[in-house]
Amino acid sequence: MRNVLPVLTVVAAILGIWYLAVGPMNFRLALDAATRGGDTVTPASVAEQGQTGLIRLMLDNPDVIPAAYAFERPRLPQPQHVAVEIYQSTFGLIRRCEWQGWGADSDNWTGLSDGCLRVIENRRSLIFHAWKTLAPTLLGFAIGTGLGILLAVGIVYNRAMDLSVMPWAIASQTIPILAIAPMIIVVMNAMGIQGLLPKSLISSYLSFFPVVVGMVKGLRRPSQMELDLLHTWSASGPQELWKLRLPSSLPYLFASLKIGVAAALVGTIVAELPTGARFGLGARLLSGSYYGQTVQIWAALLVAAICAALLVGAIGAVQRRMLTRMGMAQ
Amino acid sequence: MMAMSHKYPDLSARNLGLAAAVVAIGGVSDWRLGLVLALWLAAWGLNIVLSGTGGSAKRFLVPTIFGITLLVLWQMSVRLFDVSSVILPAPSDIWMTILESVPVLWADFVQTVVKGALTGYVMGAALAVLAAIALDRSRFLQRGLLPVGNFIAALPIVGTAPILVMWFGFGWQSKAAVVVAMVFFPILVNTVAGLKDTEAMQRDLMRTYAASYWQSFFKLRLPAALPFIFNGLKVSTTLALIGAIVAEFFGSPIVGMGFRIKTSFGTLELAMVWAEIAVAAVAGSGFYGMVTLAEKRLTFWHPSQRANR
Amino acid sequence: MKKLMTTAMAFGLISGAAAAQDEITLQLKWVTQAQFGGYYVALANGYYEEEGLDVTINPGGPDIAPPQVLAGGGADVIVEWMPAALAARERGLPLVNIAQPFARSGMMLTCWADAGIEGPEDFPGRTLGVWFFGNEYPFLSWMSQLGISTDGGADGVEVLQQGFNVDPLLQRQADCISTMTYNEYWQVIDAGVSPDELVTFAYEDGGVATLEDGLYVDEARLEDPEFVDQMARFVRASMRGWDWAEANPEEAALIVLDYDESGAQTETHQIRMMGEVAELTAGSDGTLDEAAYQRTVDTLLAGGSDPVISEVPEGAFTHVVTEAALAN
Repeated sequence: MRNVLPVLTVVAAILGIWYLAVGPMNFRLALDAATRGGDTVTPASVAEQGQTGLIRLMLDNPDVIPAAYAFERPRLPQPQHVAVEIYQSTFGLIRRCEWQGWGADSDNWTGLSDGCLRVIENRRSLIFHAWKTLAPTLLGFAIGTGLGILLAVGIVYNRAMDLSVMPWAIASQTIPILAIAPMIIVVMNAMGIQGLLPKSLISSYLSFFPVVVGMVKGLRRPSQMELDLLHTWSASGPQELWKLRLPSSLPYLFASLKIGVAAALVGTIVAELPTGARFGLGARLLSGSYYGQTVQIWAALLVAAICAALLVGAIGAVQRRMLTRMGMAQ
Repeated sequence: MMAMSHKYPDLSARNLGLAAAVVAIGGVSDWRLGLVLALWLAAWGLNIVLSGTGGSAKRFLVPTIFGITLLVLWQMSVRLFDVSSVILPAPSDIWMTILESVPVLWADFVQTVVKGALTGYVMGAALAVLAAIALDRSRFLQRGLLPVGNFIAALPIVGTAPILVMWFGFGWQSKAAVVVAMVFFPILVNTVAGLKDTEAMQRDLMRTYAASYWQSFFKLRLPAALPFIFNGLKVSTTLALIGAIVAEFFGSPIVGMGFRIKTSFGTLELAMVWAEIAVAAVAGSGFYGMVTLAEKRLTFWHPSQRANR
Repeated sequence: MKKLMTTAMAFGLISGAAAAQDEITLQLKWVTQAQFGGYYVALANGYYEEEGLDVTINPGGPDIAPPQVLAGGGADVIVEWMPAALAARERGLPLVNIAQPFARSGMMLTCWADAGIEGPEDFPGRTLGVWFFGNEYPFLSWMSQLGISTDGGADGVEVLQQGFNVDPLLQRQADCISTMTYNEYWQVIDAGVSPDELVTFAYEDGGVATLEDGLYVDEARLEDPEFVDQMARFVRASMRGWDWAEANPEEAALIVLDYDESGAQTETHQIRMMGEVAELTAGSDGTLDEAAYQRTVDTLLAGGSDPVISEVPEGAFTHVVTEAALAN
């Protein structure tokens, strides 16, 4: 909570810089449009404009600056336009929302009219697309975490796995997922697996590695004294795992889960491109880029970041609860 | 058998029986599947034996055998199961393509790794360290900037790359910009954490020496932060390479690893795609290895650099 | 127990009735848009159902190569451009053209008029944007025929891998970009550029056009007479869809919008696209025009030092399906 004021200050500073930058970023485009529209500009030809520096152009043509701010297809949209676009793609879609109750007149099972549900059902809604992205993300995150923990346990307990798997796990992360994803999708379609699972698997590919690294560190955290103590109590291997190693690795696990969930979201967005870019935040990013709707790209981008922040925050909340109850609060 | 399972507990009778059962079940349903499983389990057994022996060669040998086993299994599966080369080419085809296309691969490597990834990496790391040093003096800014930086780092690269290409053009500059955006935050977070990691006793000692802020900074806090900085630098090596390649998907001149991967995939030359992926994996691992070597030289005093048991 | 039995029987009957429809999966070359209007119209108006087909249309996208989907068994029939299909055929994937709804090519190179480009002879020294991912073949063939190298420098052209939008032209990162008559050209106009500020080179006018959207299947499957019959019915229903779309472009565009899951397409854009596409499909009954096929093959073979295909393709098309489709 004591972070609120500093965060707000920084956000305000960023918004201020953003707003100031809109003009210069769009200036050349506005100048180009003005030249073609027949206005007198200095220098007069487009070729010469390409050669002149931006500051010089702005000083020579100050009356084009407002046009740069209002430019239709901006290189940098104004912050409030992005906010408006986000609103229009979420709550702005509501039409005639009213409470109907659950009687015979109700449109659907929620008791709200259909107009309210447009927010989550309409194809233009960013919330609809966010859910389409979050569903495979959560599944992929679960798969990646499970796989990561299993691999970590194997690495800690089995010398052969320790020496062989770790270097290759590291190497696997150097392979650009954007290149592999289409091939994985094609192979899965050939095997008849479609829908949620291929995207989840690509998402888990990106999220398993932080979990492996973090859990290996965490499972090796107990000191020799603690391990010896359990040995004196004749604890078996599995008992040592459950009662000592796993609980003491929790702080590392949660730190890696936070990284993993953000990676899983990026993985799902990447996986949406080879599966037809039909729905999901990645599809919206792409269609915005495809039709040159810069504001759409920014809106989808911010919603994706908000989703990631929400997921990380959720894990942080679980972490605080669990670790406080276990006496390991940090 | 008893002696072996005594020396190598993983090769107990129960485990060997289990392995035999798996191969049998696989072989009964499809002889090719049985062959592939047998080879895989045999190589695993070899690795277990090797891991149990002493010697430092095993650190290199075991992962190499693991990798070679993977390649052999891949080659066998593709040939035995007659997988179309348009779906997955065999390692032998990929190797032939690598040998034939060395000039192309080299040009792509220079464009993407040297001009895009390395430039962006150096710029991003320098910016991040400088920013951390500037932030060090103001707790207020730290508390504000880190959560916001976290949010910005969560922006998916698939969205930021097209925007940066729009701003910086199609050349290597936009790829370097994407790399800067990707490596800035991890290195910043790690450097800030590192600069905080000195004990009160050590800082007090510097005060007793009447050290000024900057003297204390350069002689105590910066060296103490080096392990953390290197942690961030190591993580960022893979991010830099991925960032440069992905950025090329969204606009590039007709050279570059991302460009080659994308266009070769579109013309169904999958062997070239995998050749580029192999170059990326080798380059990424090499880059990571070089940073690790630098870390060993500069932070030799840190506990994590002691030899593992 | 009795209720369970009757429910089970009812389900059995329903699925039995549904099984009478043959399931076909069509893989499109790009995202859902009016470029594929005929197929969506056939689906919406029930033409496929009348032919006893249960058709699933899978949209394509930037990372989807339809020939690969076909090779992987993810589709029975794909929409693809002929150069890419012939190149895939030479690379070992036996694609065969069974129908050609698009009789004309819509590909163009759009340049700024004030860049001083009046004809192809002005290209050297310029920056041109080209799509890749299988769409670069017509461009590379054309440059080869003109004798212009694509490696940059004063005598060649600087080639940019452009994304699928028109920003490189608008932001002057390229002097010319690749456009389609029905899509990107209108995006440039929509961005506030008037047609007389642009110079356009249509591949069709330059004699270097290659055939575009056609239907392709795996050669091995054509040996099964049942599959040929399914394809004949599919082509017949699809061409009915195209005929209807040509006659009713506005309604067809609205049908396409209904199927667009991303919510990104707009009515104006799709109606205009449908109108332009109708000009490309006009006059085609689905049969491949062998003269046009030969022109495409010649253009691709004349690629100079880096031809798209190196030998004359054999058996790359068949009239079996279209003959069966038009026989009724």
